[in-house]
Amino acid sequence: MAAAGPSVFLLMVNGQVESAQMGKLAQKQWQNWNLKPGLMSELCWTCPSRLFLKYYEYIFPEYDDLYCKYCFVYGQDWAPTAGLEEGISQITSKSQDARRALVWNFPIDVTFKSTNPYGWPQIVLSVYGPDMFGNDVVRGYGAVHVPFSPGRHKKTIPMFVPESVSKLQKFTSWFMGRRPEYTDPKVVAQGEGREVTRVRSQGFVTLLFNVVTKDMRKLGYDTGPPDTQGVSGPSTPQGLSR
Amino acid sequence: MKPKEEKVKIITEEFIEDSEDADEGRQKKTVKVARQKGKKQLSSAGPKEMVSEKSHPDDQQEPVQEGSDTHLLGMTSRRGPRSLPPIPSASRTGFAEFSMRERMREKLQAARSKAESALLQEIPTPRPRSLRHPSEKELETEFGTEPGREVQRTQQEDDSQGFSRVKFHDSVRKIKSKPPVPPGFPSAEEAYNFFTFNFDPEPEESEEKPKAKSRHGTNQEEEEGEEEEPPVQEGVNKMDEEELLDGGDTEHLLLGLDHAAEDFVAVRPAEYESVHIRLQMEKELLFVPSTLTVPTYKKLPENVQPRYPEDEGLYIGARLEVPRTNQNIMENRLLMQEPGRRWFGDDGRILALPNPIKPFPSRPPMLTQEQDIKAELETLYKKAVKYIHRSQHLIGSGDPPGNFQLDIDILGLIFTHHPCFSREHVLAAKLAQLYDQYLARRQRHKAQFLTDKLQALRNAVQMGLNPAKTPKSLETTQKTINEYKSEIRQTRKLRDAEQEKDRTLLKTIIKVWKEMKSLREFQRFTNTPLKLVLRKEKVDQKADEEAYEAEIQAEISELLEEHMEEYEQKIEEYRSAQQQWKAWKKAQRAKKKKNKQAVEERPDEMKEPDPGEEPVKPVPPEPTDRAVIEQQVRERAAQSRRRPGEPMLVPELSLAGNVTPNDQCPRVEVLRREDVKRRSLYLKVTFNNKEVSRTDSRPLGADFRVHFGQIFNLKIFNWPESLTLQVYETVGHSGTTLLAEVFLPIPETTVVSGRAPTEEVEFSSNQHVTLDHEGVGSGVPFSFEADGSNQLILMTSGKVSNSVAWAIGENGIPLIPPLSQQNIGFRSALKRADAISSIGTSGLTDMKKLAKWAAESKLDPNDPSNAPLMQLISVATSGESYIPDFFRLEQLQQEFNFVSDEELNRSKRFRLLGLRSQGVPEFRNYKQIPMYDREIMEKVFQDYEKRLRDRNVIETKDHIDTHRAIVAKYLQQVRESVINRFLIAKHHFLLSDLVVEEEVPNISILGLSLFKLAEQKRPLRPRRKGRKKVTAQNLSDGDIKLLVNIIRAYDIPVRKPTTSKFQQPSRSSRTFSEKHAASPTTPSATHSADYALGQVLVRPFVEVSFQRTICHTTTAEGPNPSWNEELELPFRAPNGDYSTTSLQSVKDDVFINILDEVLYDVLEDDRERGSGIHTRIERHWLGCVKIPFSTIYFQARIDGTFKINIPPVLLGYSKERSVIIERGFDAVRSLSEGSYITLFITLEPQLVPGESVREKELVARYVSLIPFLPDTVSFAGICDLWSTSDQFLDLLAGDEEEHAVLLCNYFLSLGKKAWLVMGNAIPEGPTAYVLTREQSHYLIWNPCSGHCYGQFDTFCPLKSVGCLIGPDNIWFNIQQYDSPLRMNFDVTKPKLWKSFFSRRLPYPGLSSVQPEELIYQRTDKVAAAELQDRIEKILKEKIMDWRPRHLTRWNRYCTSTLRHFLPLLERNHGEDVEDNHRAELLKQLGDYRFSGFPLHMPYSEVKPLIEAVYSTGVHNTDAPNVEFALAVYIHPYPKNVLSVWIYVASLIRNR
Repeated sequence: MAAAGPSVFLLMVNGQVESAQMGKLAQKQWQNWNLKPGLMSELCWTCPSRLFLKYYEYIFPEYDDLYCKYCFVYGQDWAPTAGLEEGISQITSKSQDARRALVWNFPIDVTFKSTNPYGWPQIVLSVYGPDMFGNDVVRGYGAVHVPFSPGRHKKTIPMFVPESVSKLQKFTSWFMGRRPEYTDPKVVAQGEGREVTRVRSQGFVTLLFNVVTKDMRKLGYDTGPPDTQGVSGPSTPQGLSR
Repeated sequence: MKPKEEKVKIITEEFIEDSEDADEGRQKKTVKVARQKGKKQLSSAGPKEMVSEKSHPDDQQEPVQEGSDTHLLGMTSRRGPRSLPPIPSASRTGFAEFSMRERMREKLQAARSKAESALLQEIPTPRPRSLRHPSEKELETEFGTEPGREVQRTQQEDDSQGFSRVKFHDSVRKIKSKPPVPPGFPSAEEAYNFFTFNFDPEPEESEEKPKAKSRHGTNQEEEEGEEEEPPVQEGVNKMDEEELLDGGDTEHLLLGLDHAAEDFVAVRPAEYESVHIRLQMEKELLFVPSTLTVPTYKKLPENVQPRYPEDEGLYIGARLEVPRTNQNIMENRLLMQEPGRRWFGDDGRILALPNPIKPFPSRPPMLTQEQDIKAELETLYKKAVKYIHRSQHLIGSGDPPGNFQLDIDILGLIFTHHPCFSREHVLAAKLAQLYDQYLARRQRHKAQFLTDKLQALRNAVQMGLNPAKTPKSLETTQKTINEYKSEIRQTRKLRDAEQEKDRTLLKTIIKVWKEMKSLREFQRFTNTPLKLVLRKEKVDQKADEEAYEAEIQAEISELLEEHMEEYEQKIEEYRSAQQQWKAWKKAQRAKKKKNKQAVEERPDEMKEPDPGEEPVKPVPPEPTDRAVIEQQVRERAAQSRRRPGEPMLVPELSLAGNVTPNDQCPRVEVLRREDVKRRSLYLKVTFNNKEVSRTDSRPLGADFRVHFGQIFNLKIFNWPESLTLQVYETVGHSGTTLLAEVFLPIPETTVVSGRAPTEEVEFSSNQHVTLDHEGVGSGVPFSFEADGSNQLILMTSGKVSNSVAWAIGENGIPLIPPLSQQNIGFRSALKRADAISSIGTSGLTDMKKLAKWAAESKLDPNDPSNAPLMQLISVATSGESYIPDFFRLEQLQQEFNFVSDEELNRSKRFRLLGLRSQGVPEFRNYKQIPMYDREIMEKVFQDYEKRLRDRNVIETKDHIDTHRAIVAKYLQQVRESVINRFLIAKHHFLLSDLVVEEEVPNISILGLSLFKLAEQKRPLRPRRKGRKKVTAQNLSDGDIKLLVNIIRAYDIPVRKPTTSKFQQPSRSSRTFSEKHAASPTTPSATHSADYALGQVLVRPFVEVSFQRTICHTTTAEGPNPSWNEELELPFRAPNGDYSTTSLQSVKDDVFINILDEVLYDVLEDDRERGSGIHTRIERHWLGCVKIPFSTIYFQARIDGTFKINIPPVLLGYSKERSVIIERGFDAVRSLSEGSYITLFITLEPQLVPGESVREKELVARYVSLIPFLPDTVSFAGICDLWSTSDQFLDLLAGDEEEHAVLLCNYFLSLGKKAWLVMGNAIPEGPTAYVLTREQSHYLIWNPCSGHCYGQFDTFCPLKSVGCLIGPDNIWFNIQQYDSPLRMNFDVTKPKLWKSFFSRRLPYPGLSSVQPEELIYQRTDKVAAAELQDRIEKILKEKIMDWRPRHLTRWNRYCTSTLRHFLPLLERNHGEDVEDNHRAELLKQLGDYRFSGFPLHMPYSEVKPLIEAVYSTGVHNTDAPNVEFALAVYIHPYPKNVLSVWIYVASLIRNR
């Protein structure tokens, strides 16, 4: 290598693992609730009485006290220059309102350098939490590429977990509290060998990325309009979602 | 205390404070104390107090700065900011405050002077003192009480409550201060405060309010001046004071009791303190905002009066209703977090927007976030991506195919013949056909057209003959006339033919009609409604006749003219021929004459002239006769033309006839009609041989017509290649039959729907149908005649009327595929049959040929129908379009190539990327391939290119012996290919590779776990627990350590006394057979004697070297030393790469050398002996144990006793046993020969051996060994390869398995009973050994070393046996133990050995993969000798290299002695030569003291030899006069197997 090192471009990613919606009984059930949802939610805002809490416990029987881990998977030509490429969040309990969101707001801040867009970094999330016996089990894996274009991106990643091979095994794993897990969470960022597994969908995690690139255009990679403004993605900005 | 009392007290106190005379100094002191106490109290108070306390220091600092009189100033200044008068003149606060202070000061000074004077007059009494205390208290609490005034405004009372409490405690303390203060007072106070603060119930607000108000009132009065203070008030206050005192006393008593009780428990356990500290710590970390109301002055900038915009007439919306507590919390939090007051508005409240809540309820949109999620899961409709038919991909056509549509209109179907046709139908069809023909002809009117043309031509000739009218030259005129004439002739012939055809057609129609009529009469029913009417058109007879005659005349004249011309021509010809003939005749005659003369001379030679050469005499042509011509013309005219005057017959076919109803028909006819009714038809539309749609099934009509009238719109994406209609017929309910296929032409691009003409396409079927009714059938002969003559065979046939056109899009644009070369060429050419006939079908694609044809055939370039062809040709000839003359397999590849191949190869970056993705070892882990070529150094490729170059070059530098060089190369290639395959195999994943899941527990596991429940928690015999394994990824240099625990050794060779120059050695009585017979050797007498002398026989120590790091133990003494030491060696992975694959490929060995430390006294001057010791240490190598790192890596730990590899000859040492040993451990020792060392080796931390988990398919070691060559070449994660014995011998490389197989085969061929043993051995790990059966016992052979052990040999390296493999079966060990010591090798016992082939699965008689026999070549002895010399040279050079600081002398005499000795060693397999040898050496080199030994190794390459010599450390002698001797001997065995002996020795001359 040259003494000065090869010319690289930089990719700065910051943002946060915002929240999760991890419910086995999906929102559909909530919407099918006999009471008028509007009334329901209004009641919930004003009087978080025990009755409703009970009801919520019924709707979302599991998935509380979750924490998540993230790590980045990137190609050979990539190297992190600053920040943490791995992290583990605090444990969060679900909110008491109707959304039952699990909010981490766990910051991500990492800078990569690379000579090649091949192997663009992917963030791999894995969510863990106790099951009904208190065993720490995995609640979801998910991965997404860091957005290519600079700017603010909100991503909602569907999560999934590997399924047991057989019913019996499912029962025993449930009973023993050792659910099937990937040997390495990074498996979800690659396609190789996935055909041997079967998975089940398991809620969503919302991620917010703020992406800044440097010298990409100089090196001949065009990742979108020169000045991307505004939020891309379907979701409305934070705080106004309701 | 009741609030009321408290209030009263406060008032009094305040009053007293101001009015009372007080001793200045004393007051000061007490104030100080009180303040300190107050501080303490505050700090220990509950968190509620904290805010107020913290906000004070700002105020408290002020007095200290201001003046010497802390008390007074403190009071005033504290009041300063708070004592804002509630007057509206807020803007001048500063001034007001100042004046206020001034006033206060004056007042106080006055009071002080008054007090002083009073002091002078009176003796101090307890009363004022007791009164003073409350005043102190008041001072203390006042700064707390003050906010209460402001609070009133904001309707918050909490603060004042707090302060009232403070006051209460203070008063208690004050009262208490009358009795002597106990020493433990402060802590008790704190405790008290703490508890009271926490548990005191808060006073009711309602009670508090008036009190605060009244207090406020008094305070205000007090502040505002004496003049406002009414005297009555004073009196009241005094009365209150007295009341208070009474109340205070009672309180005091009560509290005093309480206090006393508390004093007893004042000695608190430490727990309390810890809680306290914890609270303190929590206080540091956590901030719990107070719910107390924040006074307005804190929220506003200093000295700013709050202003209320609402009062000023500004509109403010309704504020959001927030509970007061929350508001307070927020305010406190804001004040805490940010000292700045930017969160507060002018009115001292938190800035807030007006209430955004709508006055009326509305339903919020439900859970937007969830909806988003839903939206993401929703299926999106996307238009299908067009797929373009491969074969239709046009090279170079870049335009994307659009949306095209073909409209196929199927009107109907008419059968021209059908099996159900009756005879009448046949005739009717014929008639209809003829009539159609007739109609078509009449429409074209060819005859008339030709007649007109003829007329025109005649006129033209007439005109041309008139020269006056033609401006052209005579010549051209003549020429044109001639042309015209010839054309007239042509046209006339054509016209005649046409006219004749017309006439015949007419005749035929009439004839068929007549037949039909007769048929109808004959069969007495009518089947068809056909009716022919012949209409006669009257003609003007006279005009007709004239025209007829004129025509004839004209024709005659023309013919005559023609004939005349012909005649003239012929005459001309005749004349020339005549002349020719005459000339010939003349010549003939002359010849004859000559001949005659010649004949006279030589009559026999005369010959007949050649008859062939004689031209025929021309016959003069006959002039044409006009009459004859006229005759001919008239005849022809009569035949082909309507006679003049004869009416013109116009046939008209109508369907006006009546069909006989069924009941009047005979049975056969009825059957036929019913059959027809049962039939129905449908059409399938196929496009490019794919069915795209089909019509409805329609019944066949009685007139054999089917009407469909359906239009099919075909959206097409592929190029239309074929469009077919398939006609299917269904008879009743029996199946359908394909009648015929109708091929429709693809329409021209100009044909769009709406304008397309209806076309009739004929079809016919070759089916054979015979019917049992009136129907004539198909493909079968039938006849109209009664006698069956004149047979006809008709096939089913018909016409489909349809129209095919391109659709028109919505915006009026026809949906036609763009004109492209191939398409046009194809279709235009199809149209022009002559093009095909002229250049052949193959020429259609050959543009050059096509262009040539077009040029030759003088195509009209302006004809619109030729336009596409002309365009094509112009394109083709101008060279704009390039049609390659090659065939490309993947024609799209080029489009996807983003750079050309040359550029790809030229670019260093691309090359690097490519090589990396191929997994080329040099680049597999290359990180950060630079962006630009210029940043890539050329040398990056150097290694790789060198390797590529060297691939085929056999290097003889390392491998001296060519055969071995070739083998090494071959091995290298095998390894590469195995690695490549392995890389591919690595991409096949199993579920267990990806997902970790517990196995379903089976019964035994469940049972075990249940059993475990009953297990003791702390067993008496602790068991070793497994260490935590570390995945070797996050490791770096120095993290991994190799721990070698040397425990002890047995039977180390002992020194021989060097003093005796010659000693007759006692010949060892050991023989090979005795080895296993466990016979102890007799000790030699000399040694016993030596031992008796008490000399140290040997001082061994162990040196462990690994990766050139050397550690050694301390020196022990005696031949059975015990060290019990742990050595720690660092481990460095190659290139710092700690991945599992890299670790697996570590080839380093751990050498454990046993050395003898010899001390020599080198003190030369005996006089110094008393004062100093000068010794030199020499180390003599005794033997070594070599353990490859890979074994340690895979085994995790190595524990056991190993045989030390001791050279057969150790100069200066002997392996004699001492008496004691023999006596003591005889039983154990005698089991085996040699020296042993007990070791424990492990890695710290323990590494997870990567791929070896998947043992069933991958054994991560590949060891290549040449026979008797334990050279480990292990490399990463590769399957184990077993080669056959011949391959093994050819390669001269293989691991234990190959060795074992070969050895086993040898044994078997020798007639021994032998088995292959699969098991675990130390240090090899999983390995293969050979088991042989002797008469009474079993022997276990290590195939790599060639050693053999008895079954009960303790030191047998084979530790466990898994299975035995015999020549015809495999046995698995199912015994309780797997150690050979405790096993039974009798394979016939099924309880001990489970055989693979049993009765259930008998041995199928497999043939062996091994060759029948092995072929051995003789090894070249000369080459061996040469190799021997070279190795010796290399080794000598190496030794000199290793001694860079010393002179290395070679003792040549010794070397030659050694060299002679080596073959002897080889002959005796290194045994039983020691004593002889030593004796000889001693004889020859008596002057020297030497140490040395021969090394025996199998030969693979030079490097291991060098390593072996290095590891002995012979070169490490730094004695000044040391000399060396080194001899090499190579003994060649067949098949190029070489045994290498190296004798190294160091010699020191005795003084």
